[in-house]
Amino acid sequence: MSEADTADVVTAFEQGLAEAAEGYAAAFGRATDEHALRAQNARLLGPAGSLTKLLKRMSQLPADRRREFGKRANELKRAIDVAFEERLSELARAEREAELSGPMLDVSLPGFGRLPGRVHLLSRVKHELLDLFATMGFDVADGPEVELHENNFDKLGFPPDHPATDMQDTFFMKGPPGSDPRATLLRTHTSTVQVREMLRRKPPLAVVSAGHVYRRDDDATHSPMFMQLEGFMVDRGVSFAHLKGVLTHFLRRLFGDDVPVRFRPSYFPFVEPGGEVDVGCGICQRWKRPDAGACRVCKGSGWIEILGCGMIHPVVFEQVGYDPETNTGFAFGMGIDRVAMMRYGVGDVGLLYSNDARFLTQF
Amino acid sequence: MLASHKWLTELAGFSLDSETLAQKLTSAGLEVESVTRHGEGLEPVVVAEVCQIRPHPQRDKLRLVEVFDGQQRSEVVCGAPNVPEPGGRVVLAQLGASLPGGITIAERKLAGVVSCGMLCSESELGIGSDQDGIVVLQDIDARPGTPIADALDLRDVVYEIGLTPNRPDCLGHLGLARDLCAIEGKSFAPPAVPAPGRLLSAPTDQFPQGDAVFKLSNLWSGNCASDGEAVGFAPVRVDIRDPSRCLRYGAALVSGVAIAPSPFATRYRLHVLGHRAINNVVDATNLILLGFGHPIHAFDYDRLEGSRIEVRLAQSGEKMTTLDGEPRSLSEDDLLICDGGRPVALAGVMGGGNSEIHDGTERVLIECAYFDPRSIRRTSKRTGLHTDSSHRFERGVDPAAVPAVLAHSASLVARCAGGQLIEQGLDVNPTPVSRAKVGLRLGRVETLLGLGLEAGEVKRILTALGCELSERPDGFDVLCPTHRPDMVREVDLIEELARVHGYEHIPTAVPSVRPSQRGTSPEVLMVRQLRERAAAAGLQESVNFAFVAPSELMDARLPTEAAVLANPMSEERSVLRTGLLAGLAANLRLAQRHQLQRFAQFEVGRVFLPQAGQDLPHEAYELGVMVWGQRALWYDERDTMDFFDLKGVLEATLRPLVGSHVTTVPEPELNGSAPYLHPKRCAALRLGQETLGHLGELHPDVVDALELTGRPLYGLVRIPDLVRLVEDSASPQASDLPRFPASIRDVSVVVDEGVQAGEVASQLSQAGGALVTEVRLFDIYRGKPVPAGSKSLAFHVVYRDPMSTLTDKAVDKVHTKVTRAAEQYFGASVRK
Repeated sequence: MSEADTADVVTAFEQGLAEAAEGYAAAFGRATDEHALRAQNARLLGPAGSLTKLLKRMSQLPADRRREFGKRANELKRAIDVAFEERLSELARAEREAELSGPMLDVSLPGFGRLPGRVHLLSRVKHELLDLFATMGFDVADGPEVELHENNFDKLGFPPDHPATDMQDTFFMKGPPGSDPRATLLRTHTSTVQVREMLRRKPPLAVVSAGHVYRRDDDATHSPMFMQLEGFMVDRGVSFAHLKGVLTHFLRRLFGDDVPVRFRPSYFPFVEPGGEVDVGCGICQRWKRPDAGACRVCKGSGWIEILGCGMIHPVVFEQVGYDPETNTGFAFGMGIDRVAMMRYGVGDVGLLYSNDARFLTQF
Repeated sequence: MLASHKWLTELAGFSLDSETLAQKLTSAGLEVESVTRHGEGLEPVVVAEVCQIRPHPQRDKLRLVEVFDGQQRSEVVCGAPNVPEPGGRVVLAQLGASLPGGITIAERKLAGVVSCGMLCSESELGIGSDQDGIVVLQDIDARPGTPIADALDLRDVVYEIGLTPNRPDCLGHLGLARDLCAIEGKSFAPPAVPAPGRLLSAPTDQFPQGDAVFKLSNLWSGNCASDGEAVGFAPVRVDIRDPSRCLRYGAALVSGVAIAPSPFATRYRLHVLGHRAINNVVDATNLILLGFGHPIHAFDYDRLEGSRIEVRLAQSGEKMTTLDGEPRSLSEDDLLICDGGRPVALAGVMGGGNSEIHDGTERVLIECAYFDPRSIRRTSKRTGLHTDSSHRFERGVDPAAVPAVLAHSASLVARCAGGQLIEQGLDVNPTPVSRAKVGLRLGRVETLLGLGLEAGEVKRILTALGCELSERPDGFDVLCPTHRPDMVREVDLIEELARVHGYEHIPTAVPSVRPSQRGTSPEVLMVRQLRERAAAAGLQESVNFAFVAPSELMDARLPTEAAVLANPMSEERSVLRTGLLAGLAANLRLAQRHQLQRFAQFEVGRVFLPQAGQDLPHEAYELGVMVWGQRALWYDERDTMDFFDLKGVLEATLRPLVGSHVTTVPEPELNGSAPYLHPKRCAALRLGQETLGHLGELHPDVVDALELTGRPLYGLVRIPDLVRLVEDSASPQASDLPRFPASIRDVSVVVDEGVQAGEVASQLSQAGGALVTEVRLFDIYRGKPVPAGSKSLAFHVVYRDPMSTLTDKAVDKVHTKVTRAAEQYFGASVRK
């Protein structure tokens, strides 16, 4: 390399360093976003940047100047890097500030994603009730909806041609020609599960079951298909006092610790002594407010009938092959629809089975 | 059963306020469902005396009546035809009175004349059914101004009692009073039979059935002198052809009655108890019915042929007209009361028109019987005649009470209608009903109730209910009363003890807890989980009736061989569903009619499939899902749900339950098993190699048949299969997390439209072998340069070696194999 060339190189370095040192601060300052800033930075330090190119010529420098220029170039490079980083964070800060002080997101826009799904009122109440009994040690069982007459009536001790069967106006199934026209039917109560479980298993047992039952009735308070829950417990020494204990506990869990519970005698062919259970009306709460006025729900009585229950009739034990002397037990049943209607303020039972999306999406 | 407070108090012999009484009855199992107070709110209605009557100046039918109400005279305009002469007493509703019909009395101009009050009829006062004229008070000594409720003794409280069918004894006031006494610990004495006013005797030896004759006079209290012998009286003969259905039949005769309206007190009592007053004889029989709970029947003796009563079964097709004027065609299972030649009553249900009491009746034959409850019930059901009489007979009246009730009835008819009672009655009792004898152990009482009762208390309660007790070492031998057909076993007596002692006095105990033996059945558990998952996946649960119309099954292309109801409420609900589609389609139809923009429902329910040779159909739980309409994206209303929305929902529902991917694969057989699906837009739903159900667009023809619009999507999961698969599958086991980075290469494959992307992916994966951890579709492209009828599928292929970091070279090598395989298997051109 000639001396003149060497001098050129030296001059070029001097000029290059001077130009770079002079312009970068302003150029960085002019860049108003990250992209522009990076472009400016690349003009100096990118693969084709002016400073990068200059540094590639370092070997052309005379040996005695290399050290000096190398040091100066590196210092400049560091200074540019620092300036770049500073400006970069300045811009990022400005952008964040702009966002933080800018207009509010329109948070009222609808959310993306799925439709709002819901479990049916009846299912919700059913599961809640089953859970309460499951925590008390009851098994949860299931049984068919089309049943034999004997499981629905005979084995439960319903006398033939007895007015007790009027309480349950029955849908019968058509059998093959010549068969007994009353042999099969849609179960009128979930007590059939009691029969089936007792036939299948030996005491001690505590079982609860819930499902659809059917009666020929159709008005504002009766649906031809509705939902019942049934439970029973059989063991040595189970007494009416236990029946009261379990059901009182259940009802207080369901309706609140302070709700009054009233047991009064009633009649179902498959229990004896039989009873019905009322709870204090949750609407007028007459037990707290004796002067509560007229109440549409309890008709001013202060009580809502909620359960049927009783000690399992010895006839039922005989029918399923249990010794009625050693075994005693209690059974109870309740309408799930009724609890759902009370809780959600549904006035017409038909709505529960309307499947009208406008109704279902209210809950 | 309606019960009068006043009457109960008379019979029980003590009085309680009405609220306490209602509460006592309810807590003894005689539930008071409502309470009606009579004679209240009539305060400004008083007795008034007619002073003067003048014609109305303008209207012929109206008159101006000046009345004195004890304080002042006022003039009222009255249109009634029966205003009494001056001095007569009437009922005046004064200004300000409000009457039961909702009328409030105010000064009012009637055809130009101001009326200061209103003279009232029974019906206007709500105290009877007479609306033909105003009430005229005769035989009642009440000064003008006396409130009408006092003058006519109107105040009473009527309880509506919801009786359970095991308590026929309480279908009369007597039984209720007996129970009330037992509850209150008071002694109860049945009322004595009052002697009739006049008596005739008939020579006993003239009766064809000497041993059935008894003297009614033996049953009543007090003496009654005989008027002499009955003249022209042919003693009745009673023949019971079927003693298993007519167990006891009593008859008595009252001669020389004069049919007339009953006095007000009788009519009013019947009125508050929901009965229409007819005439003095019929009203007397109704009082007996309401008092004793024992239905009796009154025949016009002179309209009976041959002085004979025959109780027999009808012949098939035999006809009679009941007293409601309806001709009845009878069956061989109907019990009849006949005279010498023809049916005169449908036993225990309703009398015949040919022998009923009429205005000219002079002699009355009274029937008091005991019929087999089941027989009466069948006849009542068959004929659709549910009467006060059949209601009691089918629940069981007291067979032992026949003579006493007959004596009461005959005496009452004679006293009400002014006749002479024939002293001899008949009591034909071919089938005596014996009293049940039951052993009662005090220890058993305690076991069953969790409450020990003293022997003294046990004895008191049961005796008060009509039992006779004799002691034995462990308790009592109990002779049960015939008025309680529900008492036949020890437990029946224990129930009575609990009932009368009061359920509220039985302690509350918690049974010793035994752990659940089985827990919840897996199917019940699965049904519940599915329900919650499906809802979480955005579906609304529906609950449809299990019964549908046969045409709905046909339209939905569901199996039409269904379980059929013998007595459906309507054709629309006459068969049991064989699939959930029918119900969900109906729900969608409803939503479309309501112009809803989207629909996403599921149902978890049972379907019913008849099984040859089985009594019961096969019941299986299914999950049905129906979606239709707009996606849940608010910014593009034209964006409608398709196959993949349904698939996504089903995946979201099932994935957490089954622990691995469910796949959808084309299956030619679906055309046969799910003919309601679009043949080209449907798939089987699989878990591994097992099919769980299917999904797809509804077949367009089915959409039309179901009267739906658009492209609804339907999916089905068979729950028993799902339960089995989940039970069989082991829990997923943890595997090590990857330690080395993955390399991702892309490949695009152009294939025919008919080729399934899943198939391509699985071939790519296989070709790549162990190093391929995932093949993920990320784009589908149609259009130039891809030829028509083809599509370009782009996949990310993820490579990873669990033991080392893969080099580019190693990845290149295996990726080449993958692309070659694509070409080889699908004839695909690979876009590189």
